[in-house]
Amino acid sequence: MNASTKNDTSAENGEHRVDLTPIPLLETIRAHGRVWGDLAAQYGVTNPDPPWKVNLEATCDGLSAEACALPLLERRQEEDELSASLYADVPFPERQLLALAHSMIKRGLVDEGELARRMKQVHERLTSV
Amino acid sequence: MSDKPHEHKPAPMVDEVSDFEALEIAVRELAIEKGLFSAEDHRRWTEYVHTLGPLPAARLVAKAWLDPEYKKLAVTDGVKASLEVGVDWINSPPTGFGTPSDYCNLRVLEDTPKLKHVVVCTLCSCYPRPILGQSPEWYRTPNYRRRLVRWPRQVLAEFGLQLPPDIEIRVADSNQKTRYMVMPTRPAGTEGWSEEQLAEIVTRDCLIGVAVPKPGVKANAKRPVHPAVHPVHHDH
Amino acid sequence: MKTSHYDRAHHAKKATGVGDPQCFKGEAGLAKFKVGDRVRIKDLPDLFYSRCQVYTRGAVGVVIVVVYESPAPEDEAWDNTDKSEWFYCVKFRQKDLWPEYPDLYANDTVETEFSERWLEKA
Repeated sequence: MNASTKNDTSAENGEHRVDLTPIPLLETIRAHGRVWGDLAAQYGVTNPDPPWKVNLEATCDGLSAEACALPLLERRQEEDELSASLYADVPFPERQLLALAHSMIKRGLVDEGELARRMKQVHERLTSV
Repeated sequence: MSDKPHEHKPAPMVDEVSDFEALEIAVRELAIEKGLFSAEDHRRWTEYVHTLGPLPAARLVAKAWLDPEYKKLAVTDGVKASLEVGVDWINSPPTGFGTPSDYCNLRVLEDTPKLKHVVVCTLCSCYPRPILGQSPEWYRTPNYRRRLVRWPRQVLAEFGLQLPPDIEIRVADSNQKTRYMVMPTRPAGTEGWSEEQLAEIVTRDCLIGVAVPKPGVKANAKRPVHPAVHPVHHDH
Repeated sequence: MKTSHYDRAHHAKKATGVGDPQCFKGEAGLAKFKVGDRVRIKDLPDLFYSRCQVYTRGAVGVVIVVVYESPAPEDEAWDNTDKSEWFYCVKFRQKDLWPEYPDLYANDTVETEFSERWLEKA
């Protein structure tokens, strides 16, 4: 009897669910982005989760509803594989966010360049007085 | 000197925009612009997620402990029993027919002195969000999902729960449309308690099945999360 | 990687106010199995998509609940939702799933759901 679990994220049979080639934009964020644990500690905020976590969950829900651009099981399997490899050193929920962006870029749902440009605009928008 | 008005210190806030915050917004805005979902839908989803938490499930258990008829209903028709604690699996926003990841088939698993249930979704970490809220991170990890179904006693021991060998530990793997919550047995020392007092000791971890209710224990135990850097291989 | 072409508008019309899987009630016909039946999990070939866990393949268990009717996920993912099947909750002894499971804990079990196509009489 086969005792391994199908949809195993370890590439035991050489299959990968998602292209694990690092994406430069996400590598930069992974290396330099400030995670909630550090931010909360610095500013004395006691919420265990960043405010954007709920928005991320809703985005994941939205993607598996409607146009079904990124179904749940596929997204989770890719997230498992990415969390065990590329983004293993990133805490949750930052890890889930990076995995989502990675999956979406590899599927062509968003483009790395436009994501980078939009991030810059968002940052300017939120930090302008 | 006249009395000073009570000074309210503003709650501390994070005063910078992290790359992660900017990434979340950028992903969402682009997804909306490309029609992957609408802004309105996202708003409704976010509002819905905000309303969710484990209190309704705790109240369901407390009610069942106090009312044998309600207990029977909870075990045979979890969706109907949920209505009495304010959870409508079917008609709630955002969709009006359940969500693509929660569906509308709650089963309440009744523990007995000889039977202990514990819940997992080995495939992707499905969870009864409408009545229990968002799942904790440890529940989502391959570490938990792969190990609980195969070595439940070891995993439960890591949560501080050890049970005698003759008790049946039943792992419920929610791989299809049913979502599970556990109805633990009512502990000794709670005689005469109100529904509210009882609900307070039914923590989220009790409802998943990795803990049992104890008088005086109202919070989930802190649990260090070890990222599964080395995925478990199934040969030991 | 395939994308799912699920007709959400049609599903919404059918399921709003009714629920999913409730909206498929009555579509699967007679249930082949009943509570108490011993069943074996078939090792069907799954092309791309399956929700039947490998750890259950070939194992024998007991039906403990006849749960609901629904298209099988293997079909639902490809938008073939015309046919529904009965779904069953099957209970296994841990010792029948994992050869090395300790005899000391012989009472331990697992319960999980299967659509009818995965089950045969044992």
